Amino acid sequence: MDWLSTGNVTMDPTYLDYAATTPMRGEVRDDMNAYLSKSFGNPSSIHHWGRVAEGALEQARDDVAQALGAHSSEISFVRGGTESDNMAILGWCRAQKLEGQTPSIVVTAVEHQAVLEAAMSAEALGEALVTRIEVSVEAGIDLDTIRKSTSPGPAIVSVMWVNNETGLILPVRNVANALDGTKGILHSDAAQAIGKVPVNVCDTSVDLLSATGHKIYGPKGTGILFIRDGVTVAPLIHGGGQERGLRPGTQDVAGAVGFATAMKLAIKEQEPEAVRLKRLRNRMELALSKQLTGVRINGCEWARAPHILSIGVNGIDDGNQLLVALDLEGIAVSGGSACSSGARKSSHVIAALYGTDDPHATVRFSFGHGTTDQDVDHAVTATISVVERLRVAV
Amino acid sequence: MSQVLVAMSGGVDSSVAAAMLVESGYDVVGVTMKTFCYSETPNHGKTCCGLDGITDAKRVAAGLGIPHYVFDVEEDFTRDVIDDFVREYARGRTPNPCVRCNSNTKFRDLMKRGQALGCDRIASGHYVRIKHMERSSALLRGRDQTKDQSYFLWGLPVDLLPHLLFPVGELTKDMVRAHAQSLGLVTAEKPESQEICFVPTGNYRDLLRGRLESHPALDPGQIVRRDGQVIGEHAGYAGFTVGQRKGLGGGFTEPMFVLDILPDTREVVVGTQDELYQDTVVVEELNWLTDPPRIGTAVLVQLRYRAAPASATVKVLNDKLILALLEPQAAVTPGQSAVLFDGDRMIGGGRITEAAPLPVSVSDHLLP
Repeated sequence: MDWLSTGNVTMDPTYLDYAATTPMRGEVRDDMNAYLSKSFGNPSSIHHWGRVAEGALEQARDDVAQALGAHSSEISFVRGGTESDNMAILGWCRAQKLEGQTPSIVVTAVEHQAVLEAAMSAEALGEALVTRIEVSVEAGIDLDTIRKSTSPGPAIVSVMWVNNETGLILPVRNVANALDGTKGILHSDAAQAIGKVPVNVCDTSVDLLSATGHKIYGPKGTGILFIRDGVTVAPLIHGGGQERGLRPGTQDVAGAVGFATAMKLAIKEQEPEAVRLKRLRNRMELALSKQLTGVRINGCEWARAPHILSIGVNGIDDGNQLLVALDLEGIAVSGGSACSSGARKSSHVIAALYGTDDPHATVRFSFGHGTTDQDVDHAVTATISVVERLRVAV
Repeated sequence: MSQVLVAMSGGVDSSVAAAMLVESGYDVVGVTMKTFCYSETPNHGKTCCGLDGITDAKRVAAGLGIPHYVFDVEEDFTRDVIDDFVREYARGRTPNPCVRCNSNTKFRDLMKRGQALGCDRIASGHYVRIKHMERSSALLRGRDQTKDQSYFLWGLPVDLLPHLLFPVGELTKDMVRAHAQSLGLVTAEKPESQEICFVPTGNYRDLLRGRLESHPALDPGQIVRRDGQVIGEHAGYAGFTVGQRKGLGGGFTEPMFVLDILPDTREVVVGTQDELYQDTVVVEELNWLTDPPRIGTAVLVQLRYRAAPASATVKVLNDKLILALLEPQAAVTPGQSAVLFDGDRMIGGGRITEAAPLPVSVSDHLLP
């Protein structure tokens, strides 16, 4: 944040982009510390150092499993959410191919790019058939179509738990129920759900679940794939037998430990944190709705996770400009999901919900541990002034 | 101190321009305009997140401690610059896309966005100078004559001039590099970019083929002399520019040059070096950065980038400008710019549409 000293903004910047990433919490860093230097061993080694590392790794696995309501054998440590999504979709498809079957992939239109692009790559290579399920503000998500798309099977259905751009909570449990008695298995990307809404694989019968550490105050480049016992996923990369051969490569023990701590705390604190986040979000939503015309609260017809407020602002030519202007005012937010090239492409999520010619510019505010009422009020003031300025400029 | 938006291409000139503004105490915001998606090929995914220019500009901005953003102007750029480029070649002319970009896309867009962001000044790394006076601003050639880029800027909207800053205009290229090195900028040693930014293969014919698919400009035609005598075949007139010697085949008693391109008959007219010289230049799409010159005024005109200015007299000025050159000039090329100067100060310019060897069919161009 050094650039702020050059004088664009005199006050500290306000970070309202917790859905993009979060700072690592102290407990996580403390727990990781030992495995970065003192207990640096390779968990595959047979000696003392190896045993210490392996012990920590397996303890981390137990902790994650317990927090999710899973068995330890169902948790694989991977290197982030995107990798987890790819392993789930493509690894499962590959396992079907190895059985001589051509699988289907069913995705909702609002999935993360990691899921959509993985599905598209399998389709392009002729390795799977892909069905895209529309999601609409009025009709929601069509369970019948999902069910039909899974026959004759085998099929994998991917429905994210919480949408990263809008905070929409997708009806994962209803989809799971709808898949009962079909040959469809269910994957859910829960990257934005952990710690924000209850996530448990006991009471929601997903077969595969992806999560990432850096959205829950854990280390970047860490994540897990939950694979329910009995579901087969083939590895996408090959090497030593780590992670039961599913994700070879020397494990990042410190990362796994950090992930586990972050996950444990996120799930333990979920309820009170959700209450706090929801209050902040409502404060902002109410203020913007009251004080600014031409603002749509994206997805307000749906159940939403408490940490994301996505708004559509009319009368602005280029949504990117809005983010730039807010940044110059010291408010850190995102549009849809960020691309460093500033590509002026409209979000596939907003397009799915409101049509491809939706005239609104999207801003995503997302809240977290450090967010205060003052941050929200400051962001409201800045947003109103920036929007009014940009509307004049059009 | 006021806030400046500086266009950073990721090259050394605009990097140093940004650095100099920071050193002068301006509140600087760096931007890179994404004009074209280099990786937009089927196997490449859909993003441009790794463009070298963008990455370098970001690194320089971070080093200078200034914010940096990417503005996506692909749509406007395609319409105003690439489409025009293709259209001009199809008409047998040789376009100047950098002029189009500076005139239509870059500065206008930057000003609009800059004002919305609270920046009242726009800067770039062009080798030109600007002198702000009480009632007007004068655009002057860059101090480094070998680098002067004023030729590309005649189309600037005159109302923008008071808002523009060109920090490297007083420097030589060597000074710019030295400054970049002293600051340790990652772009200090970056080679000069010579290609047209939207023709990454370096061969504009690839782009024409991609955009036009089939067009007479890409079909074979005849190479003829002024008197109509056919002396060869060519593979498409879009591959030629006036003054070009290459690609005409051999076997002539003296060197042959392209004199003219006739899209209607797909003929490329060639002749000897003597035949290349023209006396009269017709210029359209005019833009003035000062009061327009009066009929009979003596001016300096630059007819190509890096060409020495030639003395000329203004013969006609309405929506067209007709210049009589004091001494005939070789290879006056339709589609290129004619840029007028009074000494070092730019008067304005336009697009060359015609060149004639004889003093003026002026009466043809006089409007009622």
